[in-house]
Amino acid sequence: MSTAPVRELKRSARLQISRGMKTVLGATILLYIASVFLAPTSVSKVAQMGMLPFAACLAIIGLGQTLVIQQGGIDLSVAGAVSLTVVIVTWGPDRHDNRLLPAVAAAFGAAIITGLINGFLVTKTKLNSIVATLGVNALLYGVMMALSGGSPRRTTDRLSHITNDKILGLPHSLYYGVFFTIIVTILLKRTVIGRRFEAVGANPRAAYATGLKVVRYQFGAYVSAQILYCIAGIVLGGVISQPTAYQGDDYVLPSVAIVVLGGTSLLGGRGFPAASALAALFIKQLDMFVLSLGVPYGVRTIVISVSLMLGIALYAVNWSSKSLPFKKRDRELQPI
Amino acid sequence: MIRFKSRATVAASVFAIVALAASTSVVAVSSANAALPSWCGPKKITMGFTDGFGGNSWRLVTTAAVREEVKLCPNVTKLYYADGQGKTDKAISDIKGMVAKGVKALVVFPDAGEAMLPALRSAYKAGVVTVPYRVAPGGTAGKDYNLFVGSDFVLAGKLWGEWIKKNLPNGGNILRISGPAGNSQGADESKGLEQVLGTTGKYKFIGAAPFEVTGWDPGKTQEVLTAAIAKYPNIDVITSDFGPSMVSALQAAVTSGWKVPAIATSDGNVLGCFYQDNQATQANFKMMTISTQNDHSRLATQWAVALATGGKTPKDKAYPSTLFEDSVSGKPSAVQCRKDLPGDVYLSAKMSGDAQAKLKTN
Repeated sequence: MSTAPVRELKRSARLQISRGMKTVLGATILLYIASVFLAPTSVSKVAQMGMLPFAACLAIIGLGQTLVIQQGGIDLSVAGAVSLTVVIVTWGPDRHDNRLLPAVAAAFGAAIITGLINGFLVTKTKLNSIVATLGVNALLYGVMMALSGGSPRRTTDRLSHITNDKILGLPHSLYYGVFFTIIVTILLKRTVIGRRFEAVGANPRAAYATGLKVVRYQFGAYVSAQILYCIAGIVLGGVISQPTAYQGDDYVLPSVAIVVLGGTSLLGGRGFPAASALAALFIKQLDMFVLSLGVPYGVRTIVISVSLMLGIALYAVNWSSKSLPFKKRDRELQPI
Repeated sequence: MIRFKSRATVAASVFAIVALAASTSVVAVSSANAALPSWCGPKKITMGFTDGFGGNSWRLVTTAAVREEVKLCPNVTKLYYADGQGKTDKAISDIKGMVAKGVKALVVFPDAGEAMLPALRSAYKAGVVTVPYRVAPGGTAGKDYNLFVGSDFVLAGKLWGEWIKKNLPNGGNILRISGPAGNSQGADESKGLEQVLGTTGKYKFIGAAPFEVTGWDPGKTQEVLTAAIAKYPNIDVITSDFGPSMVSALQAAVTSGWKVPAIATSDGNVLGCFYQDNQATQANFKMMTISTQNDHSRLATQWAVALATGGKTPKDKAYPSTLFEDSVSGKPSAVQCRKDLPGDVYLSAKMSGDAQAKLKTN
């Protein structure tokens, strides 16, 4: 009698599609339908092939940001991390394919160190994550400037092949985006570590009381995030044949926006990596859609910001609680 | 001259005491003095160079050109450099920082345009010789800054226009690409293009007016260009004032089966090599470049140093736009590609491609 409902609950939780996922999926489908009718060129092969690699990079970055936001933090060192990686993997090899592997290894090394610094500042010194990661961001830019003088080199041929070659007509970069989304989702939703990770994010004190090593998971979030930014930076370095030193600058706000669009609460807790990744596609297609409409630059920026605000408001505002203010508390009582 | 000789003597005695190859150093010092350029006056100064954005290879070479130029004048005892990283607030505080450091001359690349005017004015009012260059900051010379060393970008647009007229005499659709929204360089280039081609009635400007906004960022350029390529099936010419930033977009479009049209732009090794790799398979791909003008900063530096040290000011107040490559006529040069050098060197610059390849840090 008592076991049956429990099993039932578990099964339904597994099959459940999150509210964020529904929102993003719906919005993306609507956007593509609108694209077909209002700006058909934005869904043409050339436009999609140009857009998808960037969507994949943003998606991988978004996965990292999701992990940090799940721990109630926010990672503003995205820009520095991505830029530093792009510089290391292009300037380091300086067009020599045989130096690519050491450069990639160095980039991962730098990412892990950065993650540890972020983790240390946030968990040990209890610095606010915004302040800590902003400081680390400046540090990363400093390292990047000291290394390269602010000028990355051209992508090596091998890196270009690794990211731009095609399988079934789609660029590798897209597969990387999908692959890492699946990996992060499985790790988060299907493993003990992942479930504990979410528990720690939802309520660190309760998690501590149950005997979980809270600090370890929080460290893990920052380090994993940096590793994901590093992967995105490597892909980005390959996609753009001649990148700039500030290639990561465009990814800070979008990375937070897609996490929120995907339905992960900024307060921490449950995370929805797949929804974040899909939101990356939504944002990049929105860019393409507005570009293809051919409206002036100013209008383009306004349309994108308003759509983002609407998208976030759709999910983030608890519309039903507007009429029933005391129902608000129920949200906090939802199962993790 | 007597002054210089005495300096050489002092230098010689110092070096003798330290016992470090004294004779060769003295020879080096005196030969440098002998070749002193006219714009290098007798006053000793420290100098600043602030860049609104320093994060690409074009800026790296341009900044190195400033360093090379300053080295010609030993009376500039120190050169400080600051990179605004594309942030207007940082660019403004960089200028203030330079003034606080006590520099006597300041060369500024005011990327943000008129937003930089108050900072330029405050430096000028503080008695610093202030020379903005390349991007017009508004204001007036002699009141807000000493002088603005511009370049005739209208002429650049005209050069493109003339080439288009000659090589596509039957008209066509022209897509224009430039940097940040509203930048004066892109606006002037479009003006030049319209002056030459607008009256004929055969040419049509497609895409956003006066140009498609890319911020000169290769990532943005790729998004903008692919959207435009998808939107307009018939593009006959693309004009861009930063040719190399288009290469990744062009490459991506070519692999999707797109035919490269004629391109009128500025030079860069990566672009030259892209041309050479694709000219055999792309029948419509003609290319013309104007010099990317890395040496524009040299002229601005000469002005700043001349005014601050009491040297002779240069003749030109603006840096000329000049033709560099033309794939059709081969004049003044055929399209150049140095495969042995990185893609991000500029063969039109005074500094050799090999020297540019060695530049690593500012």
